[in-house]
Amino acid sequence: MRGVDTELVKRAQHGDREAFGQLAADLASRFLPVARRILRDLDLAEDASQRALVAIWRDLPQLRDPARFDAWSYRLLVRACYAEGRRERTWSPNLRMLPADEPVASDGLDAVLHRDQLETAIRRLSVDHRTVLVLHHYADIPLDRVAQILEIPIGTVYSRLHHAMRAMRAAIDADARPARAEASS
Amino acid sequence: MTTEHDPRTRTVLSWLREDAYENPERMLLRALDEVDATPQRRSWPAWRSNRMNTYAKLIVAAAAVLVVAFAGFQLLPRSGGVGVEPTTEPSPSPSLLARGSFTAHGVAAELDATGSGADVAGTMALSQSGTNNAATVDLECARTTAEGLIEIGGLLTESAWDPDAQDWNDGFPTGQRVAIIFEPGSPVKAVWWITSANDGVASCAALFESMDGSGDEIVPGSPGLAPIQGTVEFGP
Repeated sequence: MRGVDTELVKRAQHGDREAFGQLAADLASRFLPVARRILRDLDLAEDASQRALVAIWRDLPQLRDPARFDAWSYRLLVRACYAEGRRERTWSPNLRMLPADEPVASDGLDAVLHRDQLETAIRRLSVDHRTVLVLHHYADIPLDRVAQILEIPIGTVYSRLHHAMRAMRAAIDADARPARAEASS
Repeated sequence: MTTEHDPRTRTVLSWLREDAYENPERMLLRALDEVDATPQRRSWPAWRSNRMNTYAKLIVAAAAVLVVAFAGFQLLPRSGGVGVEPTTEPSPSPSLLARGSFTAHGVAAELDATGSGADVAGTMALSQSGTNNAATVDLECARTTAEGLIEIGGLLTESAWDPDAQDWNDGFPTGQRVAIIFEPGSPVKAVWWITSANDGVASCAALFESMDGSGDEIVPGSPGLAPIQGTVEFGP
């Protein structure tokens, strides 16, 4: 996680809306992609990110140590994602997919062919598992910090990540099997 | 293999990390509009520095001397006669201050307090659902503010509380002082006040001093005062 300007945090804690605006602009650009990858939907991600930003403003005076701002703000984002996930428990059928024309590293496997399988697989994961996967592998947050953000033991983080990655890899295997079967027949 | 050398893992990660530009501007503007209409929660007693100045400390010290002198005077024999037996009068049972079982801001409390002012007895057992967090407060003092808030404070004598259990303080560390501030009514509202090690709060009176000197006064209607779950019975 990148560092945050603690002076800005302190000013915002004392009600400086301009300082908060600067913080919020930075947070918004980080929160939205993370929320979108957890919730798999842009509208839900926008709602979650907005909810998190407002909660951060409201509760900022309660944050004792401004150096903890980054982890604390991610915690509020994750809570907002959970809330949005509960609100929209049945995922909308017309979810916007990530663009299919982006270059992807394939390394022998044609990743484009796996997109649908991966999307299906990640939707089958619980929000708990998706959150660990996205925070660690997308937002590049070390696992011990993920544990702090989620307020769960590090062992649980490892377990969720292991489960999530296994399910995602299995989706690729499942995708590859029919092709192999066709090739061998 | 489950490392990034595994082509399947690499495929998953590159898919997860692939660029998809999400423009946050619309969301940010909506959020800032909402922020404009949202007050900050300023009265949460997460931490307070002891801002008692030297002058105030002198006043407290002088008051303490007067209290000791007055108490000593009260203990002197009244009629000067050697061998006069002191009369023993039955001491009245301490009056109820507050009793109940409630949860405030996610912290559950079993409260049993009697007495008033600097003569409060009883305990407050704290815990947090779903955790091993637990602490005991030996109650010491209480006061009712001019606005009608009931404040009961004491010393944390036992604690097994995770310092990171809340965002708003360092848990309930042994040796620190805690006050629960009630706003009577329906519903009863409450908020916690916890000192930290650098506050230097050495007595229950100093706890109230630190609250008064914080510059962040809690009054009825303060956002930090949230409805409790459970019940509390207050004395007369």
